[in-house]
Amino acid sequence: MHNPNDTSPATSGASLPGAPSGDSLPGSEPSERAAIPSLTSAVDAMLRQPQRVLNLLSDARPGPLIARLLMSSVLCSLIYGVVVGTFSGGAQLWAAPVKIAAGLVLSALICLPSLYIFACLSGAQARPAQVWGLVAGLLTLMNILLIGFAPVAWVFSQSTESVALMGALHLLFWAVATAFGLKFLCAGFSHLNARSESGWKVWVVIFVMVTLQMTTALRPLIGTSPHFLPPEKKFFLVHWRECLSQ
Amino acid sequence: MNSTVAFAPALRELPALLRGELEATTPWLDRWQRARLGVHVVVILAGAGLFGAAIGCWRAPLAAFYTALKLPLIIMLTTLGNALLNAMLAPLLGANLSPRQTLLTILLSFTLASAILGSLSPLLFFVVWNTPPLAAPGAGAGAGYSFLLVAQTAMIALAGVVANLRLMQMLQRLSGSRAVARRVMLAWLAGNLLLGSQLAWNLRPFVGSPGLPVEFLRANAFQGNFFEALLRSMRELAGP
Repeated sequence: MHNPNDTSPATSGASLPGAPSGDSLPGSEPSERAAIPSLTSAVDAMLRQPQRVLNLLSDARPGPLIARLLMSSVLCSLIYGVVVGTFSGGAQLWAAPVKIAAGLVLSALICLPSLYIFACLSGAQARPAQVWGLVAGLLTLMNILLIGFAPVAWVFSQSTESVALMGALHLLFWAVATAFGLKFLCAGFSHLNARSESGWKVWVVIFVMVTLQMTTALRPLIGTSPHFLPPEKKFFLVHWRECLSQ
Repeated sequence: MNSTVAFAPALRELPALLRGELEATTPWLDRWQRARLGVHVVVILAGAGLFGAAIGCWRAPLAAFYTALKLPLIIMLTTLGNALLNAMLAPLLGANLSPRQTLLTILLSFTLASAILGSLSPLLFFVVWNTPPLAAPGAGAGAGYSFLLVAQTAMIALAGVVANLRLMQMLQRLSGSRAVARRVMLAWLAGNLLLGSQLAWNLRPFVGSPGLPVEFLRANAFQGNFFEALLRSMRELAGP
């Protein structure tokens, strides 16, 4: 059976910055198992020592770390949401952050059960809490990177009136942030000794589709509307086509 | 193997089935274990039930409840209805399996499929939430129905393929031959498809037409069969 403290080297998949090389096993150095006591240290660890986060998620009680990752992620998405809301101003200054934070958490909750099942199908020795931790890490890394893009997004939002252009720009930032987040998740799969990456790949498609559809389900995130949520249901590609044709 | 395993430990061992750990799961077939059987039944009821609810909720809450009952019912009735036939086919095709091993192997594969379906049910609920209502005017409902159908089919196909791959691995281990395992699996699949499709026909509707009331069974549930209806549809497509 799986030993929760087992930190045997990843057999395949992405390697992470902060992962030791050479003779020492990942997680064998004390600094790589040091506790993450605050939100700022959680953010720092996600950027500089993701291997440390993976090691701590394998511990018997990863709950506090997962809570910190989730809180950082929600906080960062709220800040980025305010920047998104500055394009239209008014009610969007509070509506956009609420929708972006809620949408990301909701997307994660929708996709979480299938990630656990796919992780197990791939042979990963995963506990539900570890998988929840990986998703929290994915969200955190995505939202930290979005914060990094926030000044650029703000400059553009003050310089243009095109909803389509701003939408495309935010999508580009989201794609870059998601790519880094998914790289962390892939490394997490390897850390759990998954035999194949096929389950992870299927889940990536599901997650990307759900988050993209969520942007349409919770529209408008950028423009304005008399409704908080749209009365009409649309597929995201149809919505994009309509935005581009305006 | 502990013959008196309790429900909670048996539930905790379920991920071994998902991971395809044959060393751990093959001994489950050695004897009847009430708790383990209970786990399989609970997973089928919960997993297939949730997926059924997601299918039916597009129509109405009552339809969701009915479909949540029907989908696990089809799985359980197919497993039990074909138990005798499958137990006969296995030794005839070269796999020396006892009736107990046959029944439990098939139950394991349905448990796996139901677990996958259950994990995908939040996704299907989300798809339904984003689909125009069944009774909506205009072309939206038609396109929505098509998308929903494709999404449901893809999810069921994924669960079915993974479950049958695991079934194949288990049969190969039990029989010691890949060719025998393939023969037995195809024979079981054919039998289960025959009975399962007819049971699904009898227990229709699953979504239902917006013009008809929500009901558990149609008035003509036991008139005609799936294959007659399929043939009729194909003739209509071919023209007069």
